[in-house]
Amino acid sequence: MAIEGMAAIGAAAAVALTAIATAYTQAKIGAAGVGALAEDDSLFGQVLVLTVIPETMVIFGLVVALIIAGFI
Amino acid sequence: MTKISVTGSKSQLETVITELHDMGLMDIEEYEGEDLDTGNPFEEAEELSRTLVHLRSLLSKLPESEESEGSKNLQEIQEKCTDLEETVESIEREKEGLDNEIETLKDTINTLKKLRGIDLDFQDLKGTETLETYTGRIDCEKIRNESNYRYYEIFEGEQATVIAYRPDDQFESLLSSATKEKINVPELGVEGSIESIIKEKKNDLKNLKKKKSSKDSRLEEISKEWRRSLESSEEFLAEKVEKAEAPLKFATTNKAFIAEGWIPSEKFEQVQEVLCESTEGKIHIEEEDGENPPVEHDNPSIVKPFESLTDLMSVPKYNEIDPSVVILLTFPALFGFMIGDAGYGLSSFLVFLAGYKMVPAAQDIFKSLMWASFFTVIFGLAFGDAFGYVIFGDHHNALFALTGWEFLKEIPILFHRAEHLGQVLPVAAAFGVFHINLGYLIGFYNEYVNHGFMEAFLEKGSWVLLEISAVAGYLYGATVGVPLGLISVALLYKGEGIEGIVEIPSLVSNILSYLRIFGVAVAAVALAKVVNGLAAPLFEMGTMAGLIGGTAILILGHTFNTFIKIMEGFLQGIRLHYVEMFGKFYEGGGKKYAPFGASSS
Repeated sequence: MAIEGMAAIGAAAAVALTAIATAYTQAKIGAAGVGALAEDDSLFGQVLVLTVIPETMVIFGLVVALIIAGFI
Repeated sequence: MTKISVTGSKSQLETVITELHDMGLMDIEEYEGEDLDTGNPFEEAEELSRTLVHLRSLLSKLPESEESEGSKNLQEIQEKCTDLEETVESIEREKEGLDNEIETLKDTINTLKKLRGIDLDFQDLKGTETLETYTGRIDCEKIRNESNYRYYEIFEGEQATVIAYRPDDQFESLLSSATKEKINVPELGVEGSIESIIKEKKNDLKNLKKKKSSKDSRLEEISKEWRRSLESSEEFLAEKVEKAEAPLKFATTNKAFIAEGWIPSEKFEQVQEVLCESTEGKIHIEEEDGENPPVEHDNPSIVKPFESLTDLMSVPKYNEIDPSVVILLTFPALFGFMIGDAGYGLSSFLVFLAGYKMVPAAQDIFKSLMWASFFTVIFGLAFGDAFGYVIFGDHHNALFALTGWEFLKEIPILFHRAEHLGQVLPVAAAFGVFHINLGYLIGFYNEYVNHGFMEAFLEKGSWVLLEISAVAGYLYGATVGVPLGLISVALLYKGEGIEGIVEIPSLVSNILSYLRIFGVAVAAVALAKVVNGLAAPLFEMGTMAGLIGGTAILILGHTFNTFIKIMEGFLQGIRLHYVEMFGKFYEGGGKKYAPFGASSS
């Protein structure tokens, strides 16, 4: 297979795998967060912050993909 | 905010409470010491709250009424309230009973409809002394073919079949194996053809519904007569209860009381004057030292809508910068840049306007989002994009292709975003650096005000120095960058301890996090293009049907996209503020200023 093809697959994998990881953790944090909000809805800000922390992973994935694709 | 204490003899208690309530200025602090007792509520409090509970339950059961007049006085209401509640409850109960009857009747009619076309009198469906009957959706062919039993007869209807037979075990087992669905014939105790019974039952149903609607109109009558009066007395009583229960927050002795609380500093004299006047000088007011004053936002009206976005995260502490201004400065622009499409700017504006009209509780948030829509239009025009079509500039100009107006090509655009997505990337990163450093700057100011210049420089300035050393290292090589970096790390260690060192990698991830602006921008452009791409072949057909179908796809698709983009733009935009930026300076955790009596004015 051409080297560009491999690179494209690598870029896709970088985003896909990190996205799955983010989704998995966000699902868990989100579920717990909704539980906390049901008790006390003034926690919204904190819950939102905790929920979005794993997004760092997929952003790193995006960066790696952009580097592989020669965008950066 | 100034903390004051109001001390007086118990004879002045009621006057003081009434005046404080009417002024609506003092945020009363609950007495938590152990030396004195907390006060008792006024005697009437218990009865008042009991009436209030009745009133509220009554109000929850009465339907809304536009034309209700508020002609009843409070005494009348207090007297009639319990009776009225009983009446309404009994009507509700009757309605519930009718509802049950209607449901049962509907079931019966449905069952009867299945039996249509069976040529038997209804009472025969129940069998006779010597004959059993079996009703259901039955495979009659199977029975005719497989049975050698003679004593049965089949009556077929449109859907169901009735089989009358002389009891026999073998035949019964054949019957049940040929049954697709057994129908239990309801006990009605009537005779006549099935069709006539259906008619009769439908008539009954109509009568029941009529009865129910008469109950409804009875409720509406009551509502028309009472609702407005009930509502106003509910308000009045709630206020009275609030006043009657206020002493619970006070410290009291046998003869005297002390009330402590916060008032805006500039109102101190006003409060003093009003209270002294109404009690003829029989109370003592004093300024106190206190910790954790409550917080009220103090912003020009343009910033007001953004306060709710700040409070959504956390109410600011008393002596830190209110970040609402920062949200005003960067959030709408960030939202606008990410979506960057004049068409979606307008459509999202309509959505927010609808939200503003329909959800009075969240008006502030919708107002701040309208700003975001405004910036979306601005950036949309700058990129020359509307609903994913290019409208300005000489490249792939869809609006020009449609209208043929030459001047559209002449209008300059910032850059063609769909084709030069790469250009979004440096803008996103640059914005990230700017945004985060703005955060450090505000943090610097907060520290400077609270702990002095040295602390501020060590805790926040060292981060900026670290960034500068990274840039210097890139531009002038390691000989400049490394020593500068080491100095800033040392300063950071002195300022924030080991936690600061551990946090260093997060600076990189925070800035990288702003690359999501690029991600959302890509998604925004791509989603719009997908919808346009779906519609394009239909338009190319050139027929009327194609035109209608294409328009339908455009409307549906772009409506869907509008909501997706609102969600993305809002969540990602606000998240960059809450996490990346606020993390650099914001502490929050303040208590909102909630003055006694202000909610009812």
